Amino acid sequence: MTAVITGVGVVSAFGVGRERFFVGLRGGDHSIRPIEWFDASKFPVRVAGEVPLAVAPVTASRDRKVGFALAAASEAWRQAGCGDAERDAPLVIALGLEQAFLDDFAPIAPRGVIDWAAEPAATLPAMRFRSPVDTAARAVRRALGLRGPTTINVSACAAGALAIAEAASLVARGARVVLCGGADSMVNPLGIGGMARLGAPSPRAEADACRPFDRDRDGLAIGEGAAMFIVEDLASARARGARPLAAITGWGATQDAYRATAPRPDGSAAAAAIARALARAGLAPEAIGYVNAHGTGTPLNDPAECLALATVFGAHVAKLPVSSIKGAIGHLMAAAGAIELAACVLALTESLLPGTAHLRHRDPACDVDVIGPSPRRAYVEHTLSNSFGFGGQNASVILRRMP
Amino acid sequence: MKVIAAAGVSPLGRGWHLASAAATPSMETPLAATHPGIAALACDDRAIGDAVPVRARKTMSRGALLAATAMADLTRALPAGALRDAGCFVGVGASAGAMNDLHAMLGAAIVDGEWSLARFGGPGLAACNPLLAFQLMNNFTMCHAAIQEGIGGPSGALFSRGAGTIAALAAARRSVEDGDCAIAIAGGADSALHPVTWAELVRDGHAVVPGEGCGLIAIADDDRFPALATLGAIATVPLDGEGELAAAIGAAMGAGAEEIVIAVGADANAVRGMVATHAPAARIHDLGLGEALAATPALAWLAALDRIRLGARRVVALTIGVDGDLGVVTLEAP
Repeated sequence: MTAVITGVGVVSAFGVGRERFFVGLRGGDHSIRPIEWFDASKFPVRVAGEVPLAVAPVTASRDRKVGFALAAASEAWRQAGCGDAERDAPLVIALGLEQAFLDDFAPIAPRGVIDWAAEPAATLPAMRFRSPVDTAARAVRRALGLRGPTTINVSACAAGALAIAEAASLVARGARVVLCGGADSMVNPLGIGGMARLGAPSPRAEADACRPFDRDRDGLAIGEGAAMFIVEDLASARARGARPLAAITGWGATQDAYRATAPRPDGSAAAAAIARALARAGLAPEAIGYVNAHGTGTPLNDPAECLALATVFGAHVAKLPVSSIKGAIGHLMAAAGAIELAACVLALTESLLPGTAHLRHRDPACDVDVIGPSPRRAYVEHTLSNSFGFGGQNASVILRRMP
Repeated sequence: MKVIAAAGVSPLGRGWHLASAAATPSMETPLAATHPGIAALACDDRAIGDAVPVRARKTMSRGALLAATAMADLTRALPAGALRDAGCFVGVGASAGAMNDLHAMLGAAIVDGEWSLARFGGPGLAACNPLLAFQLMNNFTMCHAAIQEGIGGPSGALFSRGAGTIAALAAARRSVEDGDCAIAIAGGADSALHPVTWAELVRDGHAVVPGEGCGLIAIADDDRFPALATLGAIATVPLDGEGELAAAIGAAMGAGAEEIVIAVGADANAVRGMVATHAPAARIHDLGLGEALAATPALAWLAALDRIRLGARRVVALTIGVDGDLGVVTLEAP
């Protein structure tokens, strides 16, 4: 069984639809802007890779990732030509945490302490106090009429990659079609505020807030959006006339088991995840032609990832193109691994390696061939995408070009 | 595939011998501070004891604390170093930050009874624990335990209100079968006693006794480890109606079962009747630990394991979470 991608749907700060995403990457564009969805002027972080409000999918839910997931899933479903015969497909989706709405508490907490007796729980409005994690999954399942089981991966920034890996694993075990990917939005007061309190985002309210691998990098930019895929067995795809865009040939996962607040500095657990992905794909390190890095732009992540790459790829790392798209669209958190795999699909289908927005002076501690702000033309057979999550979860996924 | 170790923390205390004991709902639980008069089944803080350093607890949700406690016991039940490359797949529940942080943020952001977004963005955020985000990230329920015990293999935190915990077990089995790890841990950890969680359960019409806990099992396909049980079928059935439920239970019972552990929240009597129809010869046990959300299926596995310890040959753990989906896990004597 060979798991192939036959449908891709994307919602990003570049706009709605995979073509908008690909146009942005082809042009070396970037889209970190002042937050518009709420007044962030008094917040310590005021910019993000926000999906433009004028085009953002709107649903009845205050949880914006629900609309992102629906739009991306529908686009992937359509591109793959799925229909009634595919509605038994399992759904494996990476989702971020609940969106909590603290303003909901104000009516029952006039002095800041909640008086639970003030409003009986049975009469609480449906979305008070937070949107359940599975809201987006249920919406996708309902909209597409899916009947298969649902798995919701909440492994933070590694969740998207892990969801796609699980889909490929299910296909390898006989599943015909799987809908997978990720959706997230932390562009809301508690999401932006909580991340700012951690100190992870850049404090600069500038378009170049996130500068992966740059010596002057000072943090990430929060993004939002979704990327969904139809993953299916190659023979099945061909039988129903779906065009395979790329094959998912390798994946691997590990845990840092180090600290809650920092990645393992030597990158050893991340390297082990990459090595496992290579082993599953049956590839020598030299076969990889492009790495879409996790590349958050934080002081600690980027050098640790580069050490991991050096560990696995040895001398090959000097001529291995590496880029991060997080400077352009922000960090999509649970959906990061999914949208970055979509960037790898572009690399394989158009022989165009996305650039690293805002890279001016590569950090000597990041001693790899980082692609600059403009994309690079190159024919590659295999790509690697890395995703390393808060909490220490690591995942790597390898794609192969389709003939 | 064998179950080689188990650990749990529940209202019965620490351990996995859950089949022959009974917990009694109490009005004197942490939930009483915000919702007096609600009978609940809480884990005794004395059971958690010193398993988790006090310093580490400030970034932990209740589910994370329970998971770290159970993981410490699971580690002790296995040979030294066995978990270094182990897989770890855990069903986890909703975000649940500490109430004192929530109140600190609200207190700073509410002026004269009115919510101020500007004040929240400034003094509101400054008032809360800087690591608040780690309390809220769902995967930290698992990650704290993995960090504490040095578990470095493949992992997955799967959101669960029942079925996700079954998916975690299925993922753990796949990871062993695929050779990604020699041992994989699977389980679930959660608490329905958080005031926000409880308010939402009531709002959504779940007439349950709130509970909490963590159940973990370690599985392997390796003759070096003695088996507590053999892992059989793992299945999740999305359900949309009672008719489907009866059919699904019938299918689950198709292969026969000597004993059945059910953990089904509010509709226990109805489900007990359906099970009795399909498996009239089987002994049926109610788990009776309340609705522990993501933890409930895993606690049911522990009870099923305990039935095998006590002599049963084939036990089915049948669970229906607040998501309404049916989960079926079959364990057999080794």
